[in-house]
Amino acid sequence: MNGYNFAYLDEQTKRMIRRALLKAVAIPGYQVPFGGREMPMPYGWGTGGVQLTASILGADDILKVIDQGADDTTNAVSIRHFFQRVAGVETTTATTAADVIQTRHRIPETPLRSGQILVFQVPIPEPLRFIEPSEQETRLMHALEEYGVMHVKLYEDIARYGHIATTYAYPVKVDGRYVMDPSPIPKFDNPKLDGNPALMLFGAGREKRLYAIPPYTRVESLDFEDHPFEIQRWEHSCALCGSDHSYLDEVITDDKGGRMFVCSDTDYCQTRRGEVA
Amino acid sequence: MNLSWPALDDTVHDSQRLFRQVLGAMSEPGTVHELVVPTPPAQPQKPLLGAALWGALLSLCDLDTTIWIGAELDSPALREALTFHTGARITDDPASADFALLTHASFDPRTPFAVGSDTYPDRGTTLLVAVERLENDSNGNTKGERDGQSGWRLSGPGIAESRVLDIGDGAGCRALMTRLAGNRASFPQGLDAIFGCGARLAAIPRSTRIASAEARVDSREVN
Repeated sequence: MNGYNFAYLDEQTKRMIRRALLKAVAIPGYQVPFGGREMPMPYGWGTGGVQLTASILGADDILKVIDQGADDTTNAVSIRHFFQRVAGVETTTATTAADVIQTRHRIPETPLRSGQILVFQVPIPEPLRFIEPSEQETRLMHALEEYGVMHVKLYEDIARYGHIATTYAYPVKVDGRYVMDPSPIPKFDNPKLDGNPALMLFGAGREKRLYAIPPYTRVESLDFEDHPFEIQRWEHSCALCGSDHSYLDEVITDDKGGRMFVCSDTDYCQTRRGEVA
Repeated sequence: MNLSWPALDDTVHDSQRLFRQVLGAMSEPGTVHELVVPTPPAQPQKPLLGAALWGALLSLCDLDTTIWIGAELDSPALREALTFHTGARITDDPASADFALLTHASFDPRTPFAVGSDTYPDRGTTLLVAVERLENDSNGNTKGERDGQSGWRLSGPGIAESRVLDIGDGAGCRALMTRLAGNRASFPQGLDAIFGCGARLAAIPRSTRIASAEARVDSREVN
């Protein structure tokens, strides 16, 4: 596209983000501050993820963008178009064909492979923020590995509801050191963070933080011995593909209480339907 | 003078490609990557910098970075080339360097490179080390037993089980690997290292556990 550098960002910004990414990979789970740029879309629309994708994307890469698992929702479509225009890269909806996958709030159901990069859009990167509003304090808590309050928060769930009621952005510990916010993915996806062969990068545009989980890294969801971590389960199967092991969205189909459960990962659902048909 | 120090043919796409290889090396420690970069000139009476490290410098450094250069590599030509091609500042203070350029032979563990702080561990120096050998065990040699060569068994993030990396067995190599193994004790503070041997590049970030390959084989036999 005329008038813009490849992938929108200027080269010096990309280098700054690339240097920060190397540090993020070297210190898994630690939030590296970076000079976030203003992007041609509002905060909350994935400006952090977009800046990371712009910094790593090459002309030969095949890009996939998902929003809540779907390739065809507003956020996914607009970001995919953005990179088609400013980088001219090939895009795909197939998880297996993609080199770089930018995601909002899901990890694809299809297992990722070595060499793929998953870029998460992160609204609030600090897992301790709702417990401690001061950045200085949370930074110190990370430095001292003082994570007791996070367990207290989960315990308060148990005291109030009888079980851990946190269902998304469920805190994890990366390589036994940093407590990290996995972005608002459902806790259903947390087990996929552990030992994943793909590189996972997280970008928060408004908060100007990025962090990473290298491939094959130990990632544990915080829990208690007597209240072990559990993922969501459904009594239904996907109404379209019949999957009984994927993350399901409940869709209201009429105003008479009609509803159906369908896979939130559209590519996975379509692939399954294609195989069955 | 500077014409003999090559630039990237295509600044935008070459630096992206090189960065992705460096990122691959850093996220999967001990993997060896072949970088396609024009080779920098040999300097009289100086060890070779190698194409891989030159490529890493060209793709990562700019006006915002400072580089410390070890005495054995330092020369007016290199300083001039780095300033000309990247605009990076050259510093004599290792503690304020973002990148440090050195060779395995001259590594001195007492050099006070920046290791970051507990609150900002990312503010540490990345070592760019020219080595004479860079091999890993991916081509069938699994136990680091190749002709008595010394390897180092790496494990941790980025490594499924373990991986053996051999950077040579000089005293400098041992001092360097011992220093990098010490990263675990000071984590999250520490040094991250990128190795270059000709056009080949590998990395060991501070998150990697390092043991001598022989020691690990022994302990396995005991178990």
